[in-house]
Amino acid sequence: MAVKKDYKDQKLSEKLRDRKYYIPDSNPEFIKDVEKIGQTAAHMCYQCGTCTGSCPSAPRSSYRIRLFMRKSILGLEEEILTDPDLWLCTTCYSCTDRCPRDLAPTDAIMAMRNLAFKRDIIPRNFLQTVQLIYKSGHGVPNNDANRAARKRLGLDEEPETTHKYPEYLPGIRKILDHYRLKENADRILAQGE
Amino acid sequence: MAEVKKYEEPRIGVFVCHCGTNIAGSIDVKAVMEYARTLPNVIVADDYQYMCSTPGQNKIAEAINEQKLTGVVVAACSPRLHEPTFRNATKAGGLNPFRFEMANIREQNSWVHMHQPEEATSKAKDAVRIAVAKASLLEDLVPKSVPVEKAAMVVGGGVGGMQAALDLANAGIKTYLVEKSPTIGGRMSQLDKTFPTLDCSQCILTPKMVDVYRNEGIELLTYTEVEAVEGYIGNFDVTLRKKARGVITPAEAEVRGIVGGGCTGCGDCSEVCPVIKPNPFELGMAPRKAIYIYHPQVSPLIYTVDFDACVKCGLCVEACGDKKAVDLEAKDEFMTVKVGTVVLALGYDIFPIEKKFEWGYKNYDNVITSLEFERLICASGPTGGHLVRPSDGETPKRIAFVLCAGSRDSTGVGKPYCSRFCCMYSLKHAHQIIEKIPGAIPYIFYMDIRSFGKMYEEFYYRIQNEGAKFIRGRVANILEDPVTKNLHVNAEDTLLGRPIDMEVDLVVLAAAIQPSAETEKTRRLFGVSCSQDGWLLEAHPKLNPCGTTTAGVYLAGVCQGPKDIPDTVAQAEGAASAASIPIHRGEVELEPYFAQCMEDKCAGCGMCINQCPYSALSLVEKDGRTVMQVTEAKCKGCGTCGGFCPGGAIWMQHFATPQIIAQIDAFLLGGEQ
Amino acid sequence: MSKNKHQYAFFLGCIAPNRYPGIEAAAIQTSKNVGIDLLPLKGASCCPAPGAFGSIDLNVWYAMAARNVVLAEQMGMDIALVCNGCYKSIWEVNHKLKHNDELRDGVNEVLKEIDMEFKGTADVWHLAELYYDPEIVGVKKLADSVKRPLTGAKVAVHYGCHLMKPSKERHFGDTENPMWMEELVAALGAEPVQYRNKMQCCGAGGGVRGYDITHALDITNEKLINMEEVGVDAVTEVCPFCQLQFDRGQIEIKEKFGVEHGIPVLHYNELLGLAQGMSPDDLALDLHAIDVEPFLKKIL
Repeated sequence: MAVKKDYKDQKLSEKLRDRKYYIPDSNPEFIKDVEKIGQTAAHMCYQCGTCTGSCPSAPRSSYRIRLFMRKSILGLEEEILTDPDLWLCTTCYSCTDRCPRDLAPTDAIMAMRNLAFKRDIIPRNFLQTVQLIYKSGHGVPNNDANRAARKRLGLDEEPETTHKYPEYLPGIRKILDHYRLKENADRILAQGE
Repeated sequence: MAEVKKYEEPRIGVFVCHCGTNIAGSIDVKAVMEYARTLPNVIVADDYQYMCSTPGQNKIAEAINEQKLTGVVVAACSPRLHEPTFRNATKAGGLNPFRFEMANIREQNSWVHMHQPEEATSKAKDAVRIAVAKASLLEDLVPKSVPVEKAAMVVGGGVGGMQAALDLANAGIKTYLVEKSPTIGGRMSQLDKTFPTLDCSQCILTPKMVDVYRNEGIELLTYTEVEAVEGYIGNFDVTLRKKARGVITPAEAEVRGIVGGGCTGCGDCSEVCPVIKPNPFELGMAPRKAIYIYHPQVSPLIYTVDFDACVKCGLCVEACGDKKAVDLEAKDEFMTVKVGTVVLALGYDIFPIEKKFEWGYKNYDNVITSLEFERLICASGPTGGHLVRPSDGETPKRIAFVLCAGSRDSTGVGKPYCSRFCCMYSLKHAHQIIEKIPGAIPYIFYMDIRSFGKMYEEFYYRIQNEGAKFIRGRVANILEDPVTKNLHVNAEDTLLGRPIDMEVDLVVLAAAIQPSAETEKTRRLFGVSCSQDGWLLEAHPKLNPCGTTTAGVYLAGVCQGPKDIPDTVAQAEGAASAASIPIHRGEVELEPYFAQCMEDKCAGCGMCINQCPYSALSLVEKDGRTVMQVTEAKCKGCGTCGGFCPGGAIWMQHFATPQIIAQIDAFLLGGEQ
Repeated sequence: MSKNKHQYAFFLGCIAPNRYPGIEAAAIQTSKNVGIDLLPLKGASCCPAPGAFGSIDLNVWYAMAARNVVLAEQMGMDIALVCNGCYKSIWEVNHKLKHNDELRDGVNEVLKEIDMEFKGTADVWHLAELYYDPEIVGVKKLADSVKRPLTGAKVAVHYGCHLMKPSKERHFGDTENPMWMEELVAALGAEPVQYRNKMQCCGAGGGVRGYDITHALDITNEKLINMEEVGVDAVTEVCPFCQLQFDRGQIEIKEKFGVEHGIPVLHYNELLGLAQGMSPDDLALDLHAIDVEPFLKKIL
């Protein structure tokens, strides 16, 4: 376990924080959860860096997908789930396409995000999408300007989706409610305000 | 011929091995032993820490003597490992060694059921019961001795094949060296320098090529392929296809009565030939004619006509003149030779690295393979040893080396294994460009540097000291600048944790290797197995790395798995030594698992004859009746005829129907006892 | 799959019908011109957005996408769609559920609550792949449908990510340097141009556009710079979300970075519509954030 230094000066305490890796600080189950959700054998990563070398987010940020793979193998759950970089993957799948170990680092990242959500760690925009879909069936719903344009094109103002057939919305809401997604989204968003 | 024997009252001894904790860790050995004592015919049962040890073997011999045993069962490891050991122990006790039966309770039991001790113990009891049932019906058998032809064959004329052929010939054995190309020398002759000594590859190889050519014990058959194989250890009949070469040697000219004729290697024919083709020896980077030699040091120095390209204009015939060496009407010829043993040295090919799209090989001009680099840096190569960019002929200054290009790749596109010599030759390449091109910098993209051989790590130290830059990261992709044709190598420097976009002039892919194109066909002809990755399977990975599961066939060099030149030569010497043993002994014993005709039951219908894959059966007249006869030396004991015979007249020695029925009964019925 | 290879349930998604309705209009009309009927998939929803939903809870993503597939199953039809993001959700979930019993059983348990069942009887196609497939349409038939060749226009192709990758699960072959979309562009008489790093992501996916807009735009900007380097009259894609990122993104890039590109962005169906003689008004090209006029001048 990392040595607890209860220095009175908080700044000094953080500056001199014990940075060693200690087995008790890690969660060996974490990698198993990642693999189960992501459906990929993440523990087989041999840290070649093909993923980071392929990553469009890496050159403009501190996001290193290879490090997420490494940390998940070491069970550094806390570090992973609280890292804001976790949300910088554009899911372009270039790393997955090129991974010589035939892993899907993208899906491992998605799994880590799923695990973060279980602890209410999730960017707000993701949850706003949930709310929009709950309301209208669409993540990007129709608007008046668009309705006018549709009319001009000879299309119905509302597309042939839940917009035109709102009778399908209860079914969608049932699915979302089954996973208590709307409820959780509302709750987490309210907490952040 | 065999008769169904009247069996004496069986008296069986059972010995259960602990194999340390290998077996005893998950199987209750004592319980298995106690159980054995309850089985019919079992007179004695015992257990021991290591049955294969001398005291363990002594237990068997003593029990045979004291208890007058008629059969022995050992429950231990795989018969692949210790059947010979326990047969010898059985023999030492005065019993026929084929009175021994083995129950595998390790590989097929304790190792795979490590966490299910109860089930494993129960399964071990089943195995012992089945073995006892068979042991009760075993009979005396005598192995058959056959003489061994005092000749050997080596297939493949690379450095491994040449070494094996030289060793065999120098041990006094007539050796046929068969090579599909027009010259011996193989891959090594394409290399410029060799690591870690930096010897010129050709310089150390050419003397060996000359030795092979001059050695009276070696019959060199270039431009020749194996067509068919029959027979078995000691007596292989190998049919060879001598491909139409279109050019005759001085010796062949003499046979044809052309005085002073035959090819002298003068090259006049090639001068006048109007057809230009890419030279495969130079990987297509230099031309050759339709009548050609690969390079000046070929052995034998005989030209070859590429009949696929030749337009038969006849200019070469004219140029050759009175030597009359060119024969444009030549056809493939076949010959059959008899040999006692065979060494396969089939070599390797470069994996088609263009299948890894992300590196752009064959798409980008300035991405080349390491083998192409060898030809380009070689003084006798297409550029006279000046390394140039294929796009513009300029000398590259920034050169990236991509290691593990297609190796250590589990995607199904590349190869899962380590190709083993790429790290080292890439270090050598780095040295060569530093040495030859002032100001040039090699950038080596690696995951691990595997420098495991003698003086290899020291070589790594030397190249690092010379200024090579090492970047620990696998190359993600390469992009080409459409204007300059420079390449952008994208990777992560994993030690910095920083992505890299490195613009370089040339990229060298250390492409994976794979079994040569001919390997699959050739191994099937000789009945040799391969492992999942296509490399030929050795008899035992540690204890019999040169042998195969086909008696009399041995392996040398990369065809068994990636290895560098020293390892290839070492294995070739091992294979030659192993291949010479049966020849020097003069005879080999064949396992007596032959089919036998029970003549009183045989109706002489002959239906079995065509079933036999080894042509071992024939019909003969005996006492006024037509009956089947087995040529024991040809019979492999496969059982096809035995299973097929409508009259049940074929007795498969050691795997006889009553023995197998007894095993099945013991399994299906005996468990309830 | 559908008995009729020329009739599909048209899965609209969100951005095409609700932001670029010209894509929807063009898809219906241009497909009809090459013999493909797109029928309404009534009651479809968001695919749902693979980045957002996949990140939150993959199980919800499976179930929601499955509902959309079941709507097509009930019609007895395959699905055709015009968006890579939708393809990721609809194609991939359909594929996963067909091949993973455990997953399918789990999803069906949820669908049961709304009296639906995933049966695995429908296939999912991107219109672009149907256009390229010689057994359905093919480049030649596409070229034959052109009434107003886009001669002289240099067009950059943006393939996007979620149509072809991960390539092992998909069926598009080379994802490092594909050329099939260039063939589709060339069939219209335009000149497809190669540019640096053309397979790079637009930057919007995975929820990044919403999470860190400048990060997403910086990726987009890099692509636009690479296109500018070789000089293009337009960029075409087969993903309305990529389109949004390139089109509105250029306005945002100008706002946030002070950099201007002015490269028109056209969905392939819009491009095809123009080539088949549809007018800019028929396609509501005025809704595009980046003025398409310079491109139109080049071809009209």
